[in-house]
Amino acid sequence: MTRRQKARAKRWLCTLAAVAALVMILFPVYAIIVGSFESTETLFSGTFYWLPHAATLDNYRTVLQGASGNTQETVTGAQSGNVLTSLVVGLGTALLALAVAVPAAYALSKYRLRVTVVVVSSLLVAQIVPSIVLATSLFIVFHWLHLLNSYVGLVIADGTYAIPFAILVLRAFFFSLPNELMYAARVDGASELQTFRLIVIPLARSAVITVAVFAFLAGWGDFIFALTMLNGTGIEPITLGIYSYLGNFSTDWGAVMASGVFAMVPAGVMLVVAQRYIAAGLTAGSVKG
Amino acid sequence: MNMETEAGAAPPEPADGTPRRLTGWRRQQLAGWLFLTPAIAYLLFAFALPIVYNVMLSFEQTSPATIANFTAPYAGLANYRFIFHDPTSRAAIVHTFEFTAGSLLGQFIIGFALALLFSIRFPGRTVARSLVIVPWLLPLIVTGVIFRFMFQAEGGAINQLLTSVGLAHHPIQWLNDPHLAFWTILVANIWLGVPFFTLLLYSALQDVPVEVKEAALIDGAGPWQRLRLVIVPIILPVIEVTLLLGFVFTVKVFDLVIGLTGGGPANATQLITTWSYNLSFQIFSFGEGAALNNVLLVLALICSPLYLLLSRGQLRRSSGAAG
Repeated sequence: MTRRQKARAKRWLCTLAAVAALVMILFPVYAIIVGSFESTETLFSGTFYWLPHAATLDNYRTVLQGASGNTQETVTGAQSGNVLTSLVVGLGTALLALAVAVPAAYALSKYRLRVTVVVVSSLLVAQIVPSIVLATSLFIVFHWLHLLNSYVGLVIADGTYAIPFAILVLRAFFFSLPNELMYAARVDGASELQTFRLIVIPLARSAVITVAVFAFLAGWGDFIFALTMLNGTGIEPITLGIYSYLGNFSTDWGAVMASGVFAMVPAGVMLVVAQRYIAAGLTAGSVKG
Repeated sequence: MNMETEAGAAPPEPADGTPRRLTGWRRQQLAGWLFLTPAIAYLLFAFALPIVYNVMLSFEQTSPATIANFTAPYAGLANYRFIFHDPTSRAAIVHTFEFTAGSLLGQFIIGFALALLFSIRFPGRTVARSLVIVPWLLPLIVTGVIFRFMFQAEGGAINQLLTSVGLAHHPIQWLNDPHLAFWTILVANIWLGVPFFTLLLYSALQDVPVEVKEAALIDGAGPWQRLRLVIVPIILPVIEVTLLLGFVFTVKVFDLVIGLTGGGPANATQLITTWSYNLSFQIFSFGEGAALNNVLLVLALICSPLYLLLSRGQLRRSSGAAG
């Protein structure tokens, strides 16, 4: 084999290795999609079919219209309402994160404030705090403030996933904006607020989108706060809906699979639409200063 | 806007004291504080208050009836005594350590291998790299449920594969055997964390200067030597940060385990997080739950000085100098 052939063989070997890795990484996602189209008989037949076997839309019908009536489940009917709830929670989390994080990140990067080091350190530490710690206390605090079972309470709690991260990512971005922009705006007589609103925010669009995408996914995918703050009546996001299909002894696999697929949709959409923002956001804020 | 009444404004900078600049500086201090206030309020309400309240709860004798009262009778160290004697709480602490160590080891080895793979040019590299992050985008409860489906004894993909290639003759009771169940949560969590490790280590490998790699090659270093003596030392800071963040993510894991095993069978997969949830929200013993939470919090926060040290770049750039 010549050296060139050897190099080519090596490259294709790498492709092969990457394909093998991707099969393992993507297989669980494939399994749930295939499973969501299987009939109940197939799912409980004791055999897993690698390719769709007698595909049906029954599970999706169950999930969208409510349980078919053979189970005692009453709380978990249709998931269509839950999808809407999750959308509202995700959007609410994104809005809250932006409203809090964009101005804060600007202040922490472009103003000389004495508290900057303290606040940035607190944000770094806040990212470490486990959600169960917050959930236990917030449950009682929210009980007291009548925020349990409400969108407002849930969004405030879900903000804990997104806000520290959002501020740190946006702050890193604002450092890249030249200070001359702000000087120029001031010389032209713009107020601080005008500078922020008319100059800074438009320039920060891509970073703002990254942060919004992450905050949305955090609110959409939240389970722990939904589990602790909502008690079955009223609002129920899709993550909680999936959980309620899991029985201790019997699991309605078809419904679980189909609602699981619904729950994956936003991630899929983001992966296609906002790919470059996601890749940027995953690494930003954690390593690069 | 009346800035003279702003009490929070710091005293003027002594260096440049012309009145005109002073006003501008004050105006900017005020604006900066206004921009920062919502974030400070949020941090106090959603982080500081729950953490402080959690500490208070852990010293209180709570019962379902006391939830409405915000405070409960003082209990001394009773809640802590309970969790250090309760076999399940102790097991949950041990499981958390084992789970974290095992996850980090697996995630690092696989993530690093993939990062090295992706730094070689090969057909389909870009597509492969962008698909690697898929596990990271799914809701964690969905991941847990998918793995529960795959690890089923009857009709699960894992057993199906193992029996069809002849590695197993009977269906393995992954989720019903206490020892095996622990491996399922470990495997699921490694799967979940690999993208993060791959991505961070990959971007670190991209930053290794080509000249350094070439110099090592010319000096006759083999691939293993180049990796161990040249590349790893250069990217060591990133490896440290990645392991640290991996640690922090892993001690927090909750949804995945609830969706996959629910902490069972026989509490074999209870972690601090899941058992704390049980204590607080299943048997409404918030004081004991809070005590266990504090163990977790200490465990997680042990890393924070190290984390702050590694993030000192972010801290040092404390101002962008707009004044």
